[in-house]
This record gives sequence, C-alpha cells and structure tokens, in this order.
Amino acid sequence: MAESEEEVDVLVQRVVKDITNAFKRNPNIDEIGVIPCPEARYNRSPIVLVENKLGVESWCVKFLLPYVHNKLLLYRQRKHWLEREALADITCTLLLLNPDFTTAWNVRKELLQCGVLNPEKDLYLGKLALTKFPKSPETWIHRRWVLQQILRQCSAMGRKHQQGEAEQADAERSQQLSDHLARTLHQEMKVCSDAACRYPSNYNAWSHRIWVLQHMAKGNVKVFHDELSSMRLWVSMHVSDHSGFHYRQFLLKELITELSLTPASTPPSSPQRRRSQVPDSSPPPPSQGPANGELSGAEAAAEEDRQLLQLFHQEVELCSDLIQSFPGHETLWSHRRHVFYLWHHWRREHQHHCSSNGGNASVRLNNSEPTLAEVGAQSCAGRGESVNGQGHASDAMEVDAASLPDPRDSKRLKRGALLPGTPGLPSEHSFVSGVLDSCGNPEQRRFALAYRKWLDTVIGQQP
Amino acid sequence: MGTQVKDVIIKPDATSTLLLDKHADYIAAYGSKKDDYEYTLSEYLRMSGIYWGLTVMDLMGQLHRMNRQEIIDFIKACQHECGGISASIGHDPHLLYTLSAVQILCLYDSVDALDVDKVVEYIKGLQQEDGSFAGDKWGEIDTRFSFCAVATLALLGKMDTINVDKAVEFVLSCMNFDGGFGCRPGSESHAGQIYCCSGFLSLTGQLHQVNADLLGWWLCERQLPSGGLNGRPEKLPDVCYSWWVLASLKIIGRIHWIDKAKLRSFILACQDEETGGFADRPGDMVDPFHTLFGVAGLSLLGDEQIKPVNPVLCMPEDVLQRINLQPDLLS
Ligand SMILES: [Zn+2]
Repeated sequence: MAESEEEVDVLVQRVVKDITNAFKRNPNIDEIGVIPCPEARYNRSPIVLVENKLGVESWCVKFLLPYVHNKLLLYRQRKHWLEREALADITCTLLLLNPDFTTAWNVRKELLQCGVLNPEKDLYLGKLALTKFPKSPETWIHRRWVLQQILRQCSAMGRKHQQGEAEQADAERSQQLSDHLARTLHQEMKVCSDAACRYPSNYNAWSHRIWVLQHMAKGNVKVFHDELSSMRLWVSMHVSDHSGFHYRQFLLKELITELSLTPASTPPSSPQRRRSQVPDSSPPPPSQGPANGELSGAEAAAEEDRQLLQLFHQEVELCSDLIQSFPGHETLWSHRRHVFYLWHHWRREHQHHCSSNGGNASVRLNNSEPTLAEVGAQSCAGRGESVNGQGHASDAMEVDAASLPDPRDSKRLKRGALLPGTPGLPSEHSFVSGVLDSCGNPEQRRFALAYRKWLDTVIGQQP
Repeated sequence: MGTQVKDVIIKPDATSTLLLDKHADYIAAYGSKKDDYEYTLSEYLRMSGIYWGLTVMDLMGQLHRMNRQEIIDFIKACQHECGGISASIGHDPHLLYTLSAVQILCLYDSVDALDVDKVVEYIKGLQQEDGSFAGDKWGEIDTRFSFCAVATLALLGKMDTINVDKAVEFVLSCMNFDGGFGCRPGSESHAGQIYCCSGFLSLTGQLHQVNADLLGWWLCERQLPSGGLNGRPEKLPDVCYSWWVLASLKIIGRIHWIDKAKLRSFILACQDEETGGFADRPGDMVDPFHTLFGVAGLSLLGDEQIKPVNPVLCMPEDVLQRINLQPDLLS
C-alpha cells in the first residue's frame, strides 16, 4: 500500500499527527520503540500507545523517515517553508527515529532560542530517544546545550532579582531557582542511570553524568557523597562496567580535592578551609564526630582526614570483596589500580604538606592501625576463603612519623572513631598473593599478576 | 568454571588471506545501490563516509574507480557561508565533516576547490578561551574536536592561526592516571579519544608530554586472546578499535609491544569472503567504516599489498609526502 507519492504524503502527515496527539493524550510516555510488523493493517494507525509506551509499527518507518528527513532538509535549504509548530512536530518524529541527525537537534535549538519550545520539553524528548538509542552521541550533546541554557537563565534571573527587589521576594526567588536546579540535577542523574542500564559501559552516558556534576554541582560535597553511596549497589551489580567504575573514581577524586588540605593557600589552622557543605547526615562516614562548627581548625582538618581515610578504606574493601566474589573481571582490577593510585598520591602530598606543618597528619598513617591485608583477611575468613597471612606483618611503608605522640588520639577514641587500615604497597602485594594462592581461575590469575607488575613498575618506580 | 572473558573465537576455517579485489568492488558498488531508508539514516555523516571509502580505495591503489568530479562538486556545495563544511547538502557545518572534506580534497590534490581562508577562519573561531575546540557554533567541547581542528589546519599548512599552546594545555588536562585520554577533563580513557589526543600531540610537536610507557601499557592490555583489540576494559574486540589502538601505539613508538601476527589474523577473519568488506567482528555485517580501518590496520602491520598508511591522519603516506606533511612519531 501507500506507494504513490501522494499516498505517502497523506500517510506520513497522518502519522506525524498521530505521534503529536499521542504526546498530548499522554504526557507521561516514558519509552519508545519500533514494533516488528512487516504489513500495514487497514483502518489502524501505525502509532500504538500502550500504557506509557509509544510504539511505531515497523512497516511505516521506511516511509516515515525519508519523508520527514527530506522535508526538514528542504526547509534548511530554504526551498520549503514550514511553520514553527510543524517544525517542532517533524523534528520530534525525526529524532525519535534517528536521534543522531545533528541538524534536526540544531533546528530545535533555534526554536528554543525564540521561545517556541521550552528546555524541559527538549530534555524530555531526549530522554525518550535515549530509551531506544542509549548511546546516541548527538542526543547527549543536545542535552548539555539545553542544560547550559537552563543554567544561564537561572543565573540571569538570579542577577536580575538581586538588584532592587524586596529582600524577602529575593530570597524566595533564589530558593525557587535552587530548587529548580536541584530537581533538574536529580532528573539528569536518573536519565544517566537508565541509559547506563540499557547499554553496558555507556561512555556517553557516564561522561555526561560527570559533565553534569562539574557544571551543576561544583564543590557540593554532599552531592558527591550521595552519588558515591548510591553508586555502591549499582557497581556491585555491574562488575564489568568500566565506565560505572570510572565514575566512582571520578567521585573519589573530587572528594579528595574538596576534602584535602591545600597546603599553600589554606593552612590547617585557617578557619576558611572548613567547608560548609560537608554533610552531617550522608551515609559514607558512619561514625560522625561533632559538627564541624564545634571543632577548632586543626580538629576540623583531622576530621576531614579521617573522612578521607574512611573513604579509601571502604573503597578498597569494596574492591577486594568484588574481586573475590566475581573472579576474572578486568574492570575490578583496573578500579583497584586507580583507587590505589589516588591513595598513593594523596598520601604523598599529604605527608609533604604535614611535614611542613609540624607533622600532624602522618601520625594517623602509622603502623599501629590494622593494615589492609588484615582487613582483607578478616573479610575473607568470613566467607571461609584463605588469604595469605603474611599481610599481618607490619607495613614499613606506613611508618612515617610513627613515634610522635598525638594529643588527639584519646579524643578520637572517645568519639569511637577507630581508624580503618590504610593500603600500602606491602598490603597490596599480600592481597595479590592471597588471590594467587586461592584462585584457579586463569583470568583472575592473569589480572592479579598484571596488577602486581603494575605495582612494581608504575608505583614502585615513582620517586 | 569456564572463562568468561569477553572475546570472540576465531574459527579454524576463518579467512586468512587478504581479499583486496573483493574489497575494492564492495566500495566501488557502495552507494550506487542506495536504499532510501538506509541512505537517510546515515546521511548525517555522509562526508566522513566518503572519506572512508576514498581512503581505503587509495590505500588499495583503486582511487581512479571513484567519481572524482562529482565528489569535488558535492564538497563545494557543502561549504557554508561561515566557512565550515557539512556532512551533506542542507545539513549544518561541523568540524568533523570539515576535516573529512579537507582529507578527501588532499587525496584528490584539489584543496583549492574550497575557500581555504574561510575554512581557517571557521576553525579559528571555534577555539575557546581555555584552548579547547567546540565542534560547531553550538559549543560542544571534546578532545576529538581538538584533533579535527589541528589535523585540518596541518593539512592546509595553517597551524599558526590558532593558539597552539592553549590547545595543547587543554588536551593535556584530559590525560588520566593510566596515561590515556578522555573526551573532557575527568572523563574515562577511551581508545578513540587516545588516538585523537596522541594524534593531536604529534601534529603539534608535543609527543614528549605523553607518558609513552604507561600509555603503551594500557593500549597493549586492549589485546585479547583472539588477537583483536578492544577500546576499553571488558569490551569486545573490534576492527575499528584495533586501528585506533594500533595507530596510537605506532605514534608513541610502542607498536612492537603487541602480538602483530595474532592481530593480523583477527583482522583478516573480519572479512566477508562473499560480499567483500570488513565487519567489526568475524561474522557481522560489513561496512565502509570497518573496511577502511581493517585495511589501514593491515597496512600499519606491514602488509605490502597495501600502500603505507600514516598513523596520525589515516591517509596514504604518499599523499602526505606530496603536501610535505610529516607528523612526529616517537621511536
Ligand atoms: Zn567498530
């Protein structure tokens, strides 16, 4: 059917209208797809709406796509005029079928700029396209552009209202704006998670998520903490997803930057370096000390160091657990490299800083704490697995300014915050030996040996 | 427990000889049988598609079989007022297709078909304050676009029109702890981005800034037991990633670190004996994209039936000699 040009014309216009109407009828459509159906059925639209799913019967796609595609290109070449409404409808149909058609997204950007479309509508269209094409680079690119528009609008509004508006209205206004941004951020995280679940190691989804945090949550330690803890379960269920683990590494790195001392500009005694955003209720630091406000500068510094040590400890422990539970996954070993590398560098910089500030912090890295190998041995013992016991030997790398008495030790004990073990080269080596001794999986052994070699050559040879 | 490593198995009867004639026929016929639907689906990247087809034909010594005049006219029609070039007529200009168009015109020794000054102005206008490049006027930033910008300018001999120091600074800010590069600062290392960034550093004379041993290590770990290379840990091997990893290794002087013979048999196994062309993996559908990277990969591995390919620009070396362009390689 529908072979002559006029017939195709009529058919396609009807289908485009059906799609527009489907969105009007149900503003909660949350997924799109093509329904395999080689033949047209008479008296029935090829657009099917079941609950919140919008389907297009496959037979009509081969008419529909070239038609809307050519129509848009004729418009772009100024050979054919289209009303703004028609443009919005046509680009919508087009992008749901072929979301990498850059020029169609650009037409929508222009419609957005002149106010025909609103940013939320385009984020929604992109979200739908991603349900069928979770990698589509152009869809992610368009999202970033739209988000930037939203950010720009918000900052412009913020500025406008600061000048000459009553104080209270001003405060209300800025509260609304920040609520709006928080909601947008939250929705964006959800879109990223969905796309990550639909396609493994989805580079575009995860690098978008990083971009969103960099642009919409810069310096917001609470958001980073929340992300880290909500990702914990996700990565445990996706142990091959290198991009998901990279995201964790990114979060850790950002948290280290935020929580770490920056020696030159802010010495530990300076009150400025205490951060107001440090969450007092978010999950990662399980043993909370007193609120920061009650701490002296040095105590706040110690508190932040403690949080960082705990972050590292928990991450290495998670990684050990996963490596032992899911042998033979390169992603997990690669994650271990990255975490150890971050730790190694943080500690080096930290020591450097502390030695120029009276050697406070290195005390907390001394060998009186249990080493990582011991923690690993404990967690393995719980599952009845054997781990090389050599790890119990004290770790020479960890002995820094060990003999300096630390006046805060007693305080720390009172707070009940027993410091976790910290990783070091020897504890990592005994972790590897433990794996090699207990595991027959050839892949696991290969990755363990590669990790050992990496420790020796990359970490071991650094000054 | 069986191995769960993500890889393919090369069957003992897999193709092990290079079927150059078949590939040339496949590319020559591609596009003539254009189905409306298939054609529209991929029109947004047409210019790059033409670059893939022409480059692989040139590497096989078959460029004369393509319609030179028609292609040059098409490219002219794709240059816009702003100087940028689009994937096809009626599409919007973009750095990706500007590079492809200039590469094609270099193959044909006809760069003059374009308004070159305007191309240069277009690229210059896309550089941002931090040195990065936007892909087009809408502002998306990606290290791929940094590569497109300097590769196009290098081919046109106009590198000095941009702020090279700033551009280098931005690319280096995307380097990761594993020696690799991502699309933006903080992004995951990815073989495609690594290719772009090491190519970028080669064209700007900054390869000494790469930690070649560390990056070489990561790249070598992309080789799987089948011999094929993947683009990131726990992804399947793929002919196009094999090219990006191999070319990067060549650029940083570490190509001898992988098992070349095994990679060669993986690439050969991705040919379709009947239709000609290469697929991403053995048994999949062939396309011009993987056909170029299959043939280019074999060239880098030293196959003498194919012209030598330049690892930075993925173009025949003789074309680059003609325009006197020799990007740096580490030894
Ligand atoms: Zn591929």
